[in-house]
Amino acid sequence: MELFLQLLITGILVGSIYALVALGWTLIYKCSGVLNLAMGELTLIGAYVCLTLYHWHIPFILALLITLAIGFALGILTEVVFLRPMVGEPVLSVIMVTVGLSFFFKGMVELIWGTDTVVFSPPVFPIEPIFLGKIVIGQVYLWAFIASIILLLAFVSFFKYTKWGLSMQATADDEMAALSLGVNAKVVYALAWAIAFMAAGVGGTLLGNINGLNISVGYLGLLVLPAVVLGGLNSVPGAIVGGLVIGVIQNLADGYLSRYTPGGVKDVFPFFVMVIILLFKPYGLWGWIRIERV
Amino acid sequence: MGYRPCGVYHQYYSQDHAWWQTKFVWGKMTLLFITIFYLIPQFAGMYLISVANVVGYTILAAMGVQLLIGYCGQITLGHAAFLAVGAYTCTLLMLQLHIPFLIAMIIGGLVGGLWCVLFGLPSARVKGFYLIMTTMAAQFITVEFFITQYISQIGGRGVAFSIPPGTIKIGPWVIKTDRDVYYLMVILVVLCTLAMANLLRSKVGRAWIAIRDNDIAAETMGVNIVLYKLLAFFVAGFFGGIAGAFWITSLAAVSPEHFHFGWSLWLVGVILIGGVGSIYGTIFGSLFMTLIPEGLKFLIFFLTQSPFFVNLMPFLPHLLEKFLYVKEAAFGLAIAFFLIYEPNGLSYRWWQIKNYFNLWPFSY
Repeated sequence: MELFLQLLITGILVGSIYALVALGWTLIYKCSGVLNLAMGELTLIGAYVCLTLYHWHIPFILALLITLAIGFALGILTEVVFLRPMVGEPVLSVIMVTVGLSFFFKGMVELIWGTDTVVFSPPVFPIEPIFLGKIVIGQVYLWAFIASIILLLAFVSFFKYTKWGLSMQATADDEMAALSLGVNAKVVYALAWAIAFMAAGVGGTLLGNINGLNISVGYLGLLVLPAVVLGGLNSVPGAIVGGLVIGVIQNLADGYLSRYTPGGVKDVFPFFVMVIILLFKPYGLWGWIRIERV
Repeated sequence: MGYRPCGVYHQYYSQDHAWWQTKFVWGKMTLLFITIFYLIPQFAGMYLISVANVVGYTILAAMGVQLLIGYCGQITLGHAAFLAVGAYTCTLLMLQLHIPFLIAMIIGGLVGGLWCVLFGLPSARVKGFYLIMTTMAAQFITVEFFITQYISQIGGRGVAFSIPPGTIKIGPWVIKTDRDVYYLMVILVVLCTLAMANLLRSKVGRAWIAIRDNDIAAETMGVNIVLYKLLAFFVAGFFGGIAGAFWITSLAAVSPEHFHFGWSLWLVGVILIGGVGSIYGTIFGSLFMTLIPEGLKFLIFFLTQSPFFVNLMPFLPHLLEKFLYVKEAAFGLAIAFFLIYEPNGLSYRWWQIKNYFNLWPFSY
């Protein structure tokens, strides 16, 4: 029972980071219909930028804010250079552009920062764990959870209460109607990429704080795909719930199944879950159901 | 099929169905065959032959991807998994059961095909993005999990299966040098291209193309969609398995790193750059994607040799040292810009050039 609770809580704490990255992913899909496979590399870029700033002795909070600003700029740049010419092209072309981007970003990250694992030094968060009864929680996880919840709340209220957020929602709902009401779709697309870059950057920074930073953090970025499939591709609450659930499932699989296998269950199990969801409920929990004969 | 020049008349259907219809094409193809079967292996250096082997491997591996994406409209982002299945099946059959290479290779292809069908099953229910997700899952489940964790343990050889020299032989022909690999590669590429081209002009190929263009219309015309989709996955997996099994002749040791996710994406990039829905596209894409990085490497190497350029661009030695990553980044940019500015790929450009000279001097 304690093991279960331990795994559950750790899963939720890690899952909140996935939820943050998944939110960025869903946003791009909702607003512009682009299925972004470069999400893992976006997390990498954000994490390395923040790490570099931190190693220049800039306080962590300030470094994180600068990372957000850089993410915003890079997001808009990416959208304008690579994605804007692809509006209205077939799905595969758009996906492959993002795949091309992921190769490009990954190559650049490896060229600039190398492939060795680097850690935030001195550690940003205290190392001593917190004891809740018999459950042990690392402070890094707790702070990562708090940070991602704050950002999730910030993003959600941005959609609900600001003009730009509302126009993004309108574009996602019905692009034609939004255009006729005077919403500038180009700005909306650019904004979606900017927010995705920001969310991914923070997610990557937090993940880098937990385990140290190397190229495999980009692989964790791929875990948003099971999360968004579970939640439904175009649902913001779905992305958040999906991220949390995938975090929990991953930890439970690691805790209970890894003794029966030589290892590696943790990385692969979310994808098993994804295939099963795709077979039985392809539109996820809250995705729009498009009735389509195949 | 293209068109014929003026004055060529056919009297029999067999002439009309022939692959090489005019004397000019015959001459051209004979020259090509002489080049690839005699001139290159006889006169090219070891370096060129090894590059040619990589090109051939890429063609073989991308053929299945071209079939699925270009001709059947089923997007796959996990094809390296099926290559890996073919390679591992072949290696294990040879090392554990001592089955001859040729038979092991064919069994590898068949197993690869069946494994591909397994992950193609969701295509009966989903398409587009959701299918992409399942094929990606195929990559992670197969290579990162099953092969790394379970298959690699068979026989207690550690993570990499090393193949003792002299194990791979077809009859009395031992395949050990790059030149032997080259001959095997050329034979396989010719056979696969022939098989693919002939499949595409049969009933099966027409059904695939119908599914790609409009699956609902295809179904109303009486095409059994699920059956033909699964058949496409099987054939693509078969090509993949053969490609994987071929590549063990060139590798001294088979390990999961040879079949990572990046290689799957690379194959899709090859056909996108070459041209989707064209066999020429597969070949042009493979040539481009192999020769351009080699050329780039030479360029950087050449530039680092002269102090003038090194002073001008002090990061050059660093680039040479980490050329793998330069290649990766360049590949990413190439895909993105090809899709934006040349979405039909190199084969379309080739077609245009051919047309230009066919109609010359009145090509407008």
